[in-house]
This record gives sequence, C-alpha cells and structure tokens, in this order.
Amino acid sequence: MKVPVFWGCRILTSQYAYEMSVREVFQKLNIELVDLSETNCCGDPIKSVKDSAANYLAIRVLALANATGLDGLLVPCNRCHFAISEAKNVLNKNKNLDEKIKGLLREEGLEYNSYIKIWHVIDFLHDFIGLESIKKATQKPLKDLRLATHVGCQIIRYSDLGRVDNAENPRKLDELVEIIGAKTVDYAEKLDCCGAPLMYSHPSSALSLAGTKIKALQSLGVDGLVISCPDCGLMFDFRQKDAMATVGAKVNLPVIYYTQLLGLALNVEVEKLGLHLNQSPVEQLLMKISA
Amino acid sequence: MNVGLTDLMSMAKPNIEAREKFLSKLGNKELVNCFQCLKCTSGCTALKLLELKPHEIVKLVNLGFVDELASSDIIWTCVTCLKCVQRCPQKASPYHIIMVLRNMAVEKEVQIPEEYLKAFSRILETGLAEASQEVSTRKMEVFDRESLNLPKINFPRESFQAVFMKIMEEK
Repeated sequence: MKVPVFWGCRILTSQYAYEMSVREVFQKLNIELVDLSETNCCGDPIKSVKDSAANYLAIRVLALANATGLDGLLVPCNRCHFAISEAKNVLNKNKNLDEKIKGLLREEGLEYNSYIKIWHVIDFLHDFIGLESIKKATQKPLKDLRLATHVGCQIIRYSDLGRVDNAENPRKLDELVEIIGAKTVDYAEKLDCCGAPLMYSHPSSALSLAGTKIKALQSLGVDGLVISCPDCGLMFDFRQKDAMATVGAKVNLPVIYYTQLLGLALNVEVEKLGLHLNQSPVEQLLMKISA
Repeated sequence: MNVGLTDLMSMAKPNIEAREKFLSKLGNKELVNCFQCLKCTSGCTALKLLELKPHEIVKLVNLGFVDELASSDIIWTCVTCLKCVQRCPQKASPYHIIMVLRNMAVEKEVQIPEEYLKAFSRILETGLAEASQEVSTRKMEVFDRESLNLPKINFPRESFQAVFMKIMEEK
C-alpha cells in the first residue's frame, strides 16, 4: 500500500532521527511512503502573522498530496497535523476563502480536493495497521522497560476538528508501547506541553516548561520518555541540557521517538533508526533492551 | 512589543468599532458568550511562567479594548497548546482570539517577536520555515541529510513565491 507523506520543516531540517525511523518502520510494515513532489511550510508560524496566508500554505500541501492520486496523507509532525487539519476545516465552512485559495492554487497548476484523510503516525499505526498486526510483526519484544509517553498537544486538541486521540485521556501511544512489550506509567504531568512554540518569543520560559516536565519524569524512575512529534523532540531530547539548566537540575532521561522504539522491536538496526542522533542518553535504554 | 497591558490600559477607552472589526475577523466564533468561568485560565500553560490569563483577554475584547491588546506583549505568551479551545464550555476559544489579535498587531505594524518575521522570510525564500542544519551525534560526529542517506528536499516550484506574496499582501 502507498501513502503520501508530508514531513514539514523541522523533521526535514534537523529532527532526522524521526524521519529515518518512520521510513524504516513503515517499510518493515509494507507501507510505501511517497514523498510529495515539492514541499512547503504547513503555515503554522504564519498563523500568528496572517491567517489566510497560513491556510493557503496548509491547503497547498493537501493539493500536492491530491496530485499523487492517492487519498490519504501522513503528517508525522503534530503542529503540521493541526495546521493542515484546521485549514481543511476552515475551508469547508468558509466558501469565500475556499474559492480564493483554490483560485491561487490554480495559478500554480494545482487542484485542491478536500476528500483526503490526514493521518499522524500514531493513528496510522494504531487504527489503520492495528495493534494485532504490530504484535505479530514484533521480533524482539521490549521486556522489563517502564516508559512514560508524551503524545503532545496539537494532535489531541481540539476535538471539533477530529483529532488523533482523546483530548483529556490519550491512550493510543501507551497501547502502541505496551503491544511491543514495554510497560507504561500514568503520571500527573502527562498532558503538560513541551513549550516548543514559545521558542519564537520566550525561549527561556519554553525551556523551563520542558525542564519542569523532565524533572517530574525523572522522579518517577522511568527508563525513558516516548514521543512522536519533532517539536517535542527538539525540547526534550535535542535541548535537554539547556532545559535542565533553566530548572537547576541535572537529569539524564533517555528520550526516544516511538518509531525508533518500534524499530528496535521490529529488529531494525540501531544506526538506521538514527539512534546515534538523539542527544539524550539513549544508550541507557539500549543496554537495558539488549541485556 | 515590550509594552505591558497595565501601562496600555491606564489611559484606555473602550472602542466599539474596533470590537466590531475584531468580531468580523474572528468569524462565527461565539466570543460574546464567555461567562468568565476561568476554565481557560486555570488550565493555561502560560499562566504560571508568563501570567497569561485568557479569560481577561476575552473580557477586554468584549469591552472594546482591542487596540490595547493588539499592542501588548501578553498576546505573544500563548504556547498554542489548545487546552482553552478544548475546555471552553461556551466555545469562546481564547486561542483563536489571541491569534486574531496577533494578526491585528502585524497589520498595525507593532513590533512583533522577530522569529516570526524570520520564519516568514525563509518561507518566501525557500518555501520552508527553517534552514537545513548539520547535527552532531553524542560522540560529536557531524551529519547532514546527505551523509544520513536521506533524500534531497523538494523545494517548491518558482511560481510559489509570487502566489504566496499575493495572499500575504491582500487586505
């Protein structure tokens, strides 16, 4: 089966481990990812500048997906997933804007058709591939691991748009972790935001939000944190040292993308999953898995 | 930017026209139904660190203090976690109100956080909001897309820039 994929900016320009592991894992599960013929920003940062232009950018992505002739689009970034889902919703309700944006797209030879299903990695794996198939494909169950999950904000809110999981009690990522053999923990800070969007205006507060959450997780004694969004990856993994400096704590918490974890269970080589690129001490986790 | 709401409010008078203009930009959202239950503020990610109180913003818009809000720095503290949209029992949706205020700040040419303008310039130039980075491993080996065997980025066709500018410049 073929699925078009839109990576967005952050994955393509720095969160390479997420891209590598999504590519590897989907191939293992016999899903052929089709990269769009061109890419542009999903519009998220432009929402704060000019809403209609942000919607144009998001709908342009859907038009590029339409051009593949396939009827779904995988969007592994939470912020892109929200920006695109909301733009689609806005155009369905606002005929004037719908006409205007379709007209602009036609100038570029693009056509937009709203009959397109927008997937995230989490619901694609959980709802489409299914837990049973993932269990069957698992070659190395991850025993004796206690992990916390952080699903992120923008794929679970707001429900009127139709989101990937329940807004107040998201369970799909936990179930995906459990089906490959690890245990998950519930914790009070589970829905707390990583802070990434504040990096534009208040970076030290943004890092402090990430640091506060990591500190809380460390006190739970978990083996690691499982994420599925490049912004959360930036905050919890890439900037973990800076985040901890803002809350005055020294912490070494392995942070891993779900697709990296799944890749390990599917017996994909560590290097192919980009595990050498994580900045947090994932060796701790890898040693526990291979022990 | 860098102007606190308290200072802006000290001499302010309500402006009903500005409120009407705001409402038309907001579309059919039900701003006026806010009954100040504070569900938004009690769950707000930016409350503790940056003192964002979404219920106050909704109230001030309703009273007609739109220009003051658009000029203030408080609207740039929202983390966009969307909890207020999810939890508002009246569908007043403070997040969307804040986004309209940010758009109005840009229209008024108030100084906004520079990173947004940088992102805009990069999108105009390359289509993407960020530039490709080299990353290093924990052992300080440096990699980029090519050395990681990742495919080249497919940048947008030439016509993109002109069309994007068209919608950016539209009134």
